[in-house]
Amino acid sequence: MNCPEIEARLSEYLERALPASEMEQVAEHIHECGSCAGLLEEMRSMLLRCRSFPVYEPDVDLIERILLRTTGRPRTKSFRELLGQYFLRPVLTPRFAMGVVLALMFIVLSTSLLAPRAAGIAAALSPNELFRTMDRGVQAIYSRGIKAYDKKNEWQAQFTFFKNNMFNRLGIMIEQLDVPQEGKKKSGEPRQQQEKAPNDKTSSLLLLPT
Amino acid sequence: MLSSEEKLVERCLQGDDAAWEQIVHSYARRIFNLSYRYTNRREEAEDLTQDILIRIYQNLKSFRSDAGSFQSWILRVGRNLIIDHYRQTRRFQQAAGTEEMEGMNLKDEAVPSPQRVVERDEAAQFLRNGLQVLTPELKEAIILRDIEGMAYLEIAEMLGVPEGTVKSRINRGRLELAKLLSKRRAQLGWQG
Repeated sequence: MNCPEIEARLSEYLERALPASEMEQVAEHIHECGSCAGLLEEMRSMLLRCRSFPVYEPDVDLIERILLRTTGRPRTKSFRELLGQYFLRPVLTPRFAMGVVLALMFIVLSTSLLAPRAAGIAAALSPNELFRTMDRGVQAIYSRGIKAYDKKNEWQAQFTFFKNNMFNRLGIMIEQLDVPQEGKKKSGEPRQQQEKAPNDKTSSLLLLPT
Repeated sequence: MLSSEEKLVERCLQGDDAAWEQIVHSYARRIFNLSYRYTNRREEAEDLTQDILIRIYQNLKSFRSDAGSFQSWILRVGRNLIIDHYRQTRRFQQAAGTEEMEGMNLKDEAVPSPQRVVERDEAAQFLRNGLQVLTPELKEAIILRDIEGMAYLEIAEMLGVPEGTVKSRINRGRLELAKLLSKRRAQLGWQG
C-alpha cells in the first residue's frame, strides 16, 4: 500500500477496526515510513486531547431562564440552595459577624462582672441565710433595748443622788441659817463648836462621789 | 413497555412541570456543551441551548418513540438548530476567536492542579482553533465522535446519513485536523 491508501485507513487502524491482514500491512508501512508514522502519532495525540476535552456546566441562571420561558415556573431548589438562600446568605455577612462578636463580648463581660455578685445575692437569699439575718437583727434590737434600759436606770440613779444631795445641802444651809437665832439665846461658844466640828452626817454626804 | 424517558415525556405532555424540569436538568449540560463545541462562544452557546430546549418543549408531541430514542431526537433537534443558526450568521466556516476559559466550571477533574488546568486549557484551545478551520461536515463528525463520544450508528441516525458516510467523514476530519495541528505545532516550535 502507498501513503494515500495508508492515510485513508489510519483512523480505523487507530480504532483497531480494520481486518487483521490490513492491520498488519498498515503496521509494516508505518514502521518503514516516517511521514505516515508522524501522522499516526499526531492523530493519536489529537484523539487523546479530544477525549479529555473539558466539559462545562451551564449556568444555573440558564436553567432558570429556560424553565421560566417554558413552564413559567422557577426551578425547584435543592435543600442546600434553600439553606444557602434563606439562612447562610443572610447570616454569613460582615454585619452579622460583627453583631455576633459584640454579643459574645457583652455576654462574656457581663458574666465576668456579675457572676460573683450574683452568687452573693443568691447565697443571701437562701432560707438559712435569711433566718440567720433575721435572728441577728432581733438580737441586735434586744441588746439595744437592754442598753437603753440600763442607761435609763443609770440616769435615774444619778438624778436621785443629785436630788438627795441638793435636799441635804439645803437642809444644812437652813440649819446654818437657824444658828444665830439660837446664839442670841445662849453664848457664842456653841457656834464655834459647831464650826470646828461639823455634823458627821452632812460631811459624809458631801464626800460621796458624784 | 415505556422507558423512563418516554414516561417523562408522557408526564410532560400531561402538564407535569416537574417532569419537564427533570428533562431540562438531564439534557441542558449536554446541549450546552454541544453548542459550545460548535460556536466556540459561551454566550452564543447559552442562547442556543435556551432556544433548543424551548423548541423541544414546544415540539414534544412530535416525538415518536418508534423512530429512535428520546436522546437521539433531542440531539437531532439541537444539531438542526445549531446548523440553522450558523447558516444565518454565516460564521460557521470562519475561524472565530476563542473566549477566555476563566470563570467556567470544569467538570472532568475533581480538583485539578492550576498547572494541569493551564496545560489542558491550552491544549483544548489549540484543538478548538484547529476545529474551526475544518469544513462543517468534518468538524461536526469530529465533535460528535471524538469529543462527545457518540457511536457511529448514533451519529448516522442523528445526521440522517449512512454509517459509511459517517466513518468516511470522521477519517477525513481526523486526517485533516492532524495535519493542520502538526503544521501549526511546527510553526510555533512546540514539542509533543
